[in-house]
Amino acid sequence: MITLEQKKFEEIEKMTKGYSRLLVLGCETCSAMSFAGGQRQVEELASAIRMAQKTSGQEGEVLEDAIARQCEPEFVDLIRDKLAGCDAVLSLACGAGVQLLSERFPDKVILPGCNTTFLGVTEELGVWSERCAGCGNCILDKTAGLCPIARCSKQLLNGPCGGSMNGKCEISKDVDCVWQLIIDRLARLNRLEMLEEIFPVKDWSPAGHGGPRKMVREDLKS
Amino acid sequence: MSDTSPINPMAHPPCKLACPILTDVREYVQLIAERRFDEAFATIRRQNPLPRVCGRICTHPCETACKRGQIEEPIAIAALKRFASDGPWKNQYKPVLPDKPSGHKVAVIGSGPAGLAAAHDLALLGHHVTIFEALPVLGGMLRVGVPEYRLPKNVLDEEIQAIVDLGIEIKTGVRIGAQIKLSDLFEQGYKAVFVAIGAHKDRKLGIAGEDQFEGVISAVSFLRAVNQGQNPKETKKAAVIGGGNTAIDSARCLLRMGAESVHIVYRRSRDEMPAAQEEIEEAIHEGVQIAYLTSPLKILGEDGKVSALKCIKNELGEPDASGRRSPKPVPGTEFTLDVDMVIAAIGQAPDSSLVADELGLTERRERIIVEGPYTLVTTRPGVFAGGDAVTGPATVVEAISAGKRAALSIDHYLKGESIPAIEPAKDVEKVSLARSVVEKTRKFPRCKKISLPADQRLRGFKEVESVFSEDLATKEALRCLHCYLGARIDAEKCVSCLTCVRVCPLGIPTTSKMGEITIDPFACQACGVCALECPVRAIDISLDPRTEIAQDIKKAMSTSQHSGPVIVGFFDLHGNFDSSDVENLRQDYPHVLPVMVFGLRRIDTSDILKAFECGADGVLLARCPPESDPFPEATDRVKRRMAHARALVEALGLDGGRLEICDMPEQGLVQKELIDGLIQRIKEPGQVRSE
Amino acid sequence: MKSGSNLERILEGGQFAVTAEAGPPKGSSPKVIQRKGELLKLCCDALNVTDNQTAIVRMSSLSGCVLLKELGVEPVLQMVVRDRNRLALQGDILGAAALGIRNVLCLSGDHQRFGNHPAAKGVYDIDSIQFIQMVKTMRDEHRFLNGEEISGDVPFFIGAAANPFADPFEFRVTRLAKKVNAGADFIQTQGIFDVPKFVEWMKMVRDRGLHEKTHILAGLIPIKSVGMARYMRNNVSGLSVPQEIVDRMADAKDAKEEGVKICLETIEQLKEVEGIHGIHIMAVAWEDIVPRIVEEAGLMPRPVV
Ligand SMILES: Cc1cc2nc3c(=O)[nH]c(=O)nc-3n(C[C@H](O)[C@H](O)[C@H](O)COP(=O)(O)OP(=O)(O)OC[C@H]3O[C@@H](n4cnc5c(N)ncnc54)[C@H](O)[C@@H]3O)c2cc1C
Ligand code: SF4
Ligand code: SF4
Ligand code: SF4
Ligand code: SF4
Repeated sequence: MITLEQKKFEEIEKMTKGYSRLLVLGCETCSAMSFAGGQRQVEELASAIRMAQKTSGQEGEVLEDAIARQCEPEFVDLIRDKLAGCDAVLSLACGAGVQLLSERFPDKVILPGCNTTFLGVTEELGVWSERCAGCGNCILDKTAGLCPIARCSKQLLNGPCGGSMNGKCEISKDVDCVWQLIIDRLARLNRLEMLEEIFPVKDWSPAGHGGPRKMVREDLKS
Repeated sequence: MSDTSPINPMAHPPCKLACPILTDVREYVQLIAERRFDEAFATIRRQNPLPRVCGRICTHPCETACKRGQIEEPIAIAALKRFASDGPWKNQYKPVLPDKPSGHKVAVIGSGPAGLAAAHDLALLGHHVTIFEALPVLGGMLRVGVPEYRLPKNVLDEEIQAIVDLGIEIKTGVRIGAQIKLSDLFEQGYKAVFVAIGAHKDRKLGIAGEDQFEGVISAVSFLRAVNQGQNPKETKKAAVIGGGNTAIDSARCLLRMGAESVHIVYRRSRDEMPAAQEEIEEAIHEGVQIAYLTSPLKILGEDGKVSALKCIKNELGEPDASGRRSPKPVPGTEFTLDVDMVIAAIGQAPDSSLVADELGLTERRERIIVEGPYTLVTTRPGVFAGGDAVTGPATVVEAISAGKRAALSIDHYLKGESIPAIEPAKDVEKVSLARSVVEKTRKFPRCKKISLPADQRLRGFKEVESVFSEDLATKEALRCLHCYLGARIDAEKCVSCLTCVRVCPLGIPTTSKMGEITIDPFACQACGVCALECPVRAIDISLDPRTEIAQDIKKAMSTSQHSGPVIVGFFDLHGNFDSSDVENLRQDYPHVLPVMVFGLRRIDTSDILKAFECGADGVLLARCPPESDPFPEATDRVKRRMAHARALVEALGLDGGRLEICDMPEQGLVQKELIDGLIQRIKEPGQVRSE
Repeated sequence: MKSGSNLERILEGGQFAVTAEAGPPKGSSPKVIQRKGELLKLCCDALNVTDNQTAIVRMSSLSGCVLLKELGVEPVLQMVVRDRNRLALQGDILGAAALGIRNVLCLSGDHQRFGNHPAAKGVYDIDSIQFIQMVKTMRDEHRFLNGEEISGDVPFFIGAAANPFADPFEFRVTRLAKKVNAGADFIQTQGIFDVPKFVEWMKMVRDRGLHEKTHILAGLIPIKSVGMARYMRNNVSGLSVPQEIVDRMADAKDAKEEGVKICLETIEQLKEVEGIHGIHIMAVAWEDIVPRIVEEAGLMPRPVV
């Protein structure tokens, strides 16, 4: 899933100042699962904004709503009526959701309430970690199923740098050196010889360095 | 009035389903836990016109069914009923009679629990009721069967009086069938008759010497005499034959009347004994001796008086049709007990002979035949029957149930409507809890009832059991597992995030491969963690639902007199406090507005914010002491959530000191210093918190 | 000859090489590098100019190299892949060639998180091994990474780093082999304190015959104080400083003297190890000590080839 975290309240407070009718809009998929912007966080945040407005003597109304996914036009369009009376939306979706709102509602101020963090897994409730960088050209077949693009601090493709110590990455004792993990797994799979080959330079163009990405499926599109 | 429509066993707690009058046990237990005793009583009383009787002598099938029984011991439901029904708040309950009487007259024959319950409900339905009772006193077996030490007469008097006060006409000393026939009643203008004459006819032992010597008496006659203040015969050594509650009661009465030794002689082993386990225990405790696997052979006498009972030992053979193993005498094991009195307590039958003709009963049948256990219609139009008279000796609550059903049937009949014939509820199969759930559930032993020491008991007929204190009652009620009040998932909202699966302290929610979440409504204990943590609010919970907490906050705020800084206090009901603590808090700190919840697990950051939003100047959260927390594993989660709340409150520009999170003291609601400190910090912001 | 550099000539001539590090300043004055050049000129065969070492911004290593060259000192151009993508790297290689630089050391670089611009975007377009391979292709095939032809020669003696003390230990030799296969002509190792572990590693290196395919220069870090020893032991990832060294430093009356002694003892031991073709001294902020160490290690005067 895409993971998100809610922005610091101070930042949200600043960006939402001065709007008389603000809609706090949750996104019930990735954002909800990240505990950043589902119904529950909408309630909490809207309450907090109302309180903050009250303390600062600002008159304003804060509405609450949530839709299944802010990255789908059909869902987004369902809030059109509610939005009509608002002057701004605080979207608790990922950047994609925020932008789709901006596109669908050209006359409204759309504000991001969350930071989109990464593509990752839930390690346990409340702990997520990055697993995929969306590089557009998966190499996991060559790296024992563990991704050095997303998980090596230097995106090395030919084994660990000289900073790998006790299984940890040189950047922090809290970060696993993915190359250590790759080597351990290859050893278990009896495939250590895969390390001998020099991994060629990577084509980064599908990773977004070739310009904004777009996919078109001719068989599906209308 | 009892709801007789078939109910879905998947939505009702086992305690309620097991109760013949479907008493909402869970509801009143919860109300006791919430220290809302008057409402608890009203819940009981709405369903049951004899709550104080039942609180003492009901056989409580609810306890047998109670889910908590699968954990360690069932909730002491009957004792809680007694607590709720004995308290001073009971007098606040006033049944509401309809404005306009129906104009119909109904005759009720017999003033046992069946007759009383029918009379009560019929009166509430607007009918004019006359009770005809053969004895000079009201109450049936409750008065002339059950001994004083289990059911004090004044308690019975009060309950009966309350029923009579509904405007019921009483005719005692009238044996219907003898002086007045059923047909006479119809001629006198009664439009319907409920026959509830009980089962008072003795069964004979059928052994030699039974009719020959003085000192052989049936249990019913014996108890009737005792209950009417007579001592039928001085006795030193007595034998009681039989294994039911009547036998036990007779034996315990004998001890109280000065008998030196009392033997109960019972054919089978203790496991088969029909008397209630606790009654057997009490009897043994008081000194009754029980000869199991023993049958009487012959009563021996001297000078026309009983002198001994000859017995033989049995062994248990193959199970018979009823599934019980039938006793077989073992030759050569004969022995005699020296006794001067023998009480036959081998069962009673209804004496239906007086109404047999009119109801078309064949002579052999003792029980009155009804069309179905719900309609209670007899062969004669307008005549209904129920209670022991129909079932044979049974229980108070079954008799009440019959009375209530009869009232409904009669009401339909009087209105000219057809009487709905409802299939009797099949015995609901007992659902077993998974082992893992049993293991993960924190054990809390059942609160012990307090009873008189044995030596004091035998000096008279003083009531043996005493009522729970408020402390014990709430503590016991808090053991309830809130069956079927737990989490329900709105599948449309659920996004399969698995949070519920991860947070449940009991491991109840499970997922399918496609992310469909299932929460077993029976196993769930309504702890509230999942409902709160679900990020999309897809889980609703019936115990303290989130919407209700929000309303409670608003309600609390609206009652504030704004005499000082307003503080919303969330208090965990599991704390060790009593109603006086709550009262004192209200008096000492009128501006602290309590919101009582089943565990702070239920309080989310947004609830705290909501309180501030509604105008609170401070928020206090009091956790129950760890010893009484049913879900201690969730405590850490609660603490971290509160830390998050505090951070947010501070980010809002409010002083974090306005939020006080504390543990409740070992006894009481909250330490005064903590409230004072909070008030101080609200008045002079910027002070450092002591914690 | 691949590059014709002094270092290449010494190593190919089978002589024991001595190199040292000359870090450029956090400023624009040429004097710092010039002073280090003058100081080390006679005791080293070539001087490495570091590239934003430990991710702290300094004068560019290419400029440092040019300044040294002007003094007649042979530079080794260190380049990390952290700060430049394949375009910039290739461009700088061509520029360095044009400026007469003949040695290059291809590195990954310390992560930017530790430097003075932790918020920087790391580039890591290619890794150090791919970098080595790229320079080799430029030199031997006159081709860019994309296959296009390069006009003119790109004569470089290509170096790489090796850290025998990082984890996983078994992989360290494999990684060296990869570097050698990619085209590393010489290797400069991480600073060695744990000689037995290094010896073990060298044995594995020899088992694969790598010592015959490349020139291995053993790294040395003279320690000035016990604090420095402790710091390196606790905070520098990929360094192994045995407790014994720390204790010796702690017990010493004159810590600096003890540091020199340790360094000289280490050199003595390393000289004996088969496959070691030289030493590389990284005297960070203590360059002054290098001439004395080289002298007392009996490695003076430096050969002229
Ligand atoms: C000793 C003893 C102990 C018991 N203990 C318990 C206990 O602990 N818990 C429990 O649940 N149950 C207990 N029971 C059973 C319980 O008391 C009965 O099941 C219950 O009272 C039956 O109620 P009823 O209204 O059907 O009949 P009864 O209570 O028997 O009432 C019938 C009434 O009808 C009157 N009557 C009979 N014939 C006529 C007539 N022709 N005209 C007018 N009036 C008539 C009788 O005098 C009597 O008052 C006990 C029973 C006995 C005997
Ligand atoms: S230590 Fe491991 S994960 Fe970290 S940068 Fe080096 S190789 Fe990558
Ligand atoms: S635990 Fe409570 S709700 Fe469940 S059966 Fe027992 S008393 Fe009833
Ligand atoms: S916590 Fe809520 S959204 Fe998540 S799986 Fe459970 S019910 Fe579904
Ligand atoms: S309410 Fe509590 S016990 Fe019930 S499913 Fe949710 S977390 Fe489990």
